[in-house]
Amino acid sequence: MPSQIVSLVVNGERREFIAAPGATLLACLRESLGLIAAKRGCAQGACGTCTVLVDGRPEAACLVAVETVADGSVRTLEGVTSGGELDEVQSAFIDCFATQCGFCTSGMIMVAEALLDRNPDPSEDDVIEAISGNVCRCTGYRPIVIAIMEAARRRREQAVPR
Amino acid sequence: MAIQAVHVPESLDGVVACSARGGRIMGGGTVVMPQLTSGSTAVTELVSLRRAGLGGVEVRDGVATIGAAATLTAVGEHPALAFLRPALRTIASPTIRNQATVGGNLFVAQPYGDLAVCLLALDATCEIAGPAGRRDAPVADVLAAGIAAGEVVVAVRVTLPEPGAWHYHKAMRRRLNSAAIVTVASVTSAGDRRIALGGLAPRPVRAVSAERLLSGRPLTPENLTEAGEAARADIDPFDDAYASAWYRARVLPVHLRRAFLP
Repeated sequence: MPSQIVSLVVNGERREFIAAPGATLLACLRESLGLIAAKRGCAQGACGTCTVLVDGRPEAACLVAVETVADGSVRTLEGVTSGGELDEVQSAFIDCFATQCGFCTSGMIMVAEALLDRNPDPSEDDVIEAISGNVCRCTGYRPIVIAIMEAARRRREQAVPR
Repeated sequence: MAIQAVHVPESLDGVVACSARGGRIMGGGTVVMPQLTSGSTAVTELVSLRRAGLGGVEVRDGVATIGAAATLTAVGEHPALAFLRPALRTIASPTIRNQATVGGNLFVAQPYGDLAVCLLALDATCEIAGPAGRRDAPVADVLAAGIAAGEVVVAVRVTLPEPGAWHYHKAMRRRLNSAAIVTVASVTSAGDRRIALGGLAPRPVRAVSAERLLSGRPLTPENLTEAGEAARADIDPFDDAYASAWYRARVLPVHLRRAFLP
């Protein structure tokens, strides 16, 4: 079977591109669409740096053959906000020193976004479970947990309609 | 050889047709995709179950029918399957549980596949489709011998345990997202106690020696330790990055006891 045109709704916008058979969603995002926030870390689903939201739920994009999600909805870090503003999770990551080298950050933020979309008032245990598939070799995780709790607090206070 | 085609059939008939032509069945891709990416498999065609309508969970008269393509997340979200939530939370991360499927869990090598250990304890039935039609098989047979080429597991059928009849415990290196050192799952129905073990053999196994020893006896620490020691006759443990075979056999009685007396 030759390469085919795949259509996805990425960050709210319909995008079409040509994909070779079995191309991963991660490769398509990065190489066909130029969305490079999701990173290729382990390429085995173990590190979480490629996490994006597929139909609203976090998935490891390196494990998704793009044909299997054709016409689906994908959200990446690039689509978290529009217009250059940072959202509560992103700004809390900066304020709480939750990012150092930055390689894990986009995956961490996407699982945090999914968590807060479903559970605006998570416990610390909820946060730790949510990021349990995301490896960070810099921070020791503590600042990341604090940042996500802080983002949840800010979002509740602002009651931002999302 | 690179992948030549990924089929995403939208019906079971389509899955069977693609599978009969030699395509490798893929549930959530958590096992198959890393093999492709690393070049460690010769597979050239994949058949994804993602759009085949096999992702549902139905419960009727105390029996749950779980579609093979149901994700571990979907299983945990069904109210009738709430007893499995503590077990599901020990499997991988929430992200991977959004992708990994019930059917795929039956075909992964230990120390992965804790849900398959649960299904073995629950004496689940696999509904299988193939070119020759439909058949049912005990999950124990599917775990031990697999299914024929061209066949596909469509669903697993589970009798829901009575309240208090279900026990699960998994020993792992971290509290979350780590593979099994020892997994114990057990269900008691009509006095019959079934115990399944993970992490202790290439496939999930029944601890029949422990079941025999515990038959008609109370679940005291002494009886459970004795049963755990007897269960060493039922296992074939292996060394891996998580634990040695020696260690797994050594701590089995402790964790069998903790499954019943936390």
